[in-house]
Amino acid sequence: MLDYSHKRFLIVDDFSDFRTSLKAMLRELGAKDVDMADRGEDALSLCRHKRYDIILHDYNLGAGKNGQQVLEELLIGKLISHECIFVMVTAESSQAMVLSALEHEPDAYLTKPFNRASLSQRLDKLVERKTALQPILQALDKQDSSAVLAACASLSQQDKRYAPLCLRYQAGALRELGRLDELEKLLTALLADRTVPWACIALGNLLQTRGQLPRAQQVYELALKSFPMFPGLYDGLAAVLSAQGEGKRAQNLLEEAVRLSPLAIRRQMQLGKLALENDDFGIASKAFRCAVEQGRTSCFKNPENYLGLTQALTGQAVDGSLDKRLQLDINQTISELQKTYSNDQAVQVRARLAHASSLVLSGDAAQAKKLTEEAVARLGDLQSFFSAEAAMAVASQLRELGQAEASDTLLKNCVEIYGDDPAVMQGIALQTSDPAILGSGLQALELNRQGVRSYQQGEHGQALEHFRAALALQPKNISMALNTAQSLLRLGGEQATPALLEECRACLEVVRIMPENDPRFARYQKLRHKAFGDE
Amino acid sequence: MSDERSGLEFSTVIASTVHDMKNSLALLIQTHNQWLPQLPPELLHSREHGIIEYEFARLNGMLVQLLGLYKLGINQLPLRPAYHELEDFIQAQLARHQEVLESRHITARCEVAEFGLMGFFDQELLASVVANIITNSIRYARQDLLVRAWEEQGVLVLAICDDGEGYPEAMLAEQSDYVLSLNHSTGSTGLGLYFAGRIAALHGRNGVCGHIEIRNGAPLGGGEFRIYLP
Repeated sequence: MLDYSHKRFLIVDDFSDFRTSLKAMLRELGAKDVDMADRGEDALSLCRHKRYDIILHDYNLGAGKNGQQVLEELLIGKLISHECIFVMVTAESSQAMVLSALEHEPDAYLTKPFNRASLSQRLDKLVERKTALQPILQALDKQDSSAVLAACASLSQQDKRYAPLCLRYQAGALRELGRLDELEKLLTALLADRTVPWACIALGNLLQTRGQLPRAQQVYELALKSFPMFPGLYDGLAAVLSAQGEGKRAQNLLEEAVRLSPLAIRRQMQLGKLALENDDFGIASKAFRCAVEQGRTSCFKNPENYLGLTQALTGQAVDGSLDKRLQLDINQTISELQKTYSNDQAVQVRARLAHASSLVLSGDAAQAKKLTEEAVARLGDLQSFFSAEAAMAVASQLRELGQAEASDTLLKNCVEIYGDDPAVMQGIALQTSDPAILGSGLQALELNRQGVRSYQQGEHGQALEHFRAALALQPKNISMALNTAQSLLRLGGEQATPALLEECRACLEVVRIMPENDPRFARYQKLRHKAFGDE
Repeated sequence: MSDERSGLEFSTVIASTVHDMKNSLALLIQTHNQWLPQLPPELLHSREHGIIEYEFARLNGMLVQLLGLYKLGINQLPLRPAYHELEDFIQAQLARHQEVLESRHITARCEVAEFGLMGFFDQELLASVVANIITNSIRYARQDLLVRAWEEQGVLVLAICDDGEGYPEAMLAEQSDYVLSLNHSTGSTGLGLYFAGRIAALHGRNGVCGHIEIRNGAPLGGGEFRIYLP
């Protein structure tokens, strides 16, 4: 038995008898520092103030968050280190496991009832494992993927018992580092030996990002034959099918996944989106409503779910008229959205437009007009721009609400900011055929492409000239501004001149309008950090 | 849960009742354990206490198995295999039965063919199988119980043996169909083997499925249960 006297324990369970008896067991194991909580919310707040070494969390707490939700929030909020041991205590383990997301698994499950011998055996083993993995876990805490790889290599050499675990950490690190060829090789080799669920999902994901959709589909379909109870596989296959234009099949798959595991905000949101695309407004309403309700107590709360719900409810209008009950439902949804995101200007604009669209169908033209005008007035002073997807939705709403001019302006902005993405240009082309909008970015785009080519060939000076020229033509384009900034920093090296730094900072100031959910946000922050230092 | 069907199927009624029974039993066991330290030593080591511990374990095992069979029946039994260390797995199973083993004066050992032997299986499912087999062995064992694991041509073998009377001849003969051998004297044993066989078959590799086997004799002279996982 190990020494537990210096370990900090947290017990979370809604049964006070159980907490007391577990605490007594831990004391018999020598534990001195044992805190207790009866709700997930309390557990989160305790973890904000104290670093626990071992958390024993009941899965099903009755009211409030369940154990899985708490674990996800702890990991995403970085409230616990990777070195912390998280044990999920369950009455029945299989249910909890189905509901757990693969990327946020607890270190172990412990099924009630358990005796002291089981608890002690389990904890001893987990401490031993975490100690062996320490170099990897510390590197993970520092988000140092290269160090993770190095630590994995040396540990799996030392002790083959940890080799399977190391492979999983290795795969994660290779993905972070963008070393995709190596990642594909690792996963394919692993899967040739055995159908390992996590590796199937990782390979499917990878193949999809590499554009190899039929291969990705094959991987998922094969895996689902062996593991029909794995919601993550349904998510993956649905994404591939939807990318291949098979929206209806994708929706059916997600409906199944939601039946298996309904407590997943992102899955419900994805289902809502697909159902909207398929004009299945009933399913879309149900999915978005679940996402909104679960989001109230979660870090995965997202304004898109409120907007999606509004759109799905509006879609249920019959013969162009919306019944009172639906309108009432929409009014409540919009009102909660506006209150929840009162500081988000982009959300405020979108809420008003979505509300106005529904009011038109209810026959309240006056109120619809008032809200539309409010939205247009606010468009001018947005601190951060919409995502490309949101911008296109807003432009289309504006057009339907009779604001063609505002719609065109918005599309023009969208081209300038996101025009280097062919998918965005395709979406815009669906809404307009105005050459002044569609053709406005072509020259800059070509310059940007030449810049990327030069940069890849190591000709950083030439790349900079191309990027500068591109940015001069499209001064708000995020990619071009980021590329220019990166080239400047690259050329400047360690001792960048003040003039160069100033130009770089000016570029990055342009990119301030980028929404935080943009995939390039992390790159922007890194460059900002380099150009501005610690601010 | 919204149910569109008008009536309830009896299997659903049973499953939901068993689920509640399991929770109730968990509370009962836990309360009993809290109460134990207050017992005088002579009662703590009494025959009655041994019986209570044993029947708790048996009841719990049966309920877990019943829920498992229900889920198998409706194709809802999740399989989540991963790599596990055999020594760790076996020690965990023995720890779960520590009180019962002590009260029955049975020595349980774990033997793993090589240090760090790994297997690829669903830990929870295999644990429920092993728990039932161990409970069964405890009933028949005189004083020794052995859980062994080794690898045979890439297939993991996990064996549980005892020094009891061994399996009845009729059961050994009808290995291929345990349900056939279900009768009053072997009822729970037969069902346990059926469950074990189904769980073994869920595990597979490149088209080869796992299976189980029972035999008598070596190494402890009594019954031996084996589960083969490819």
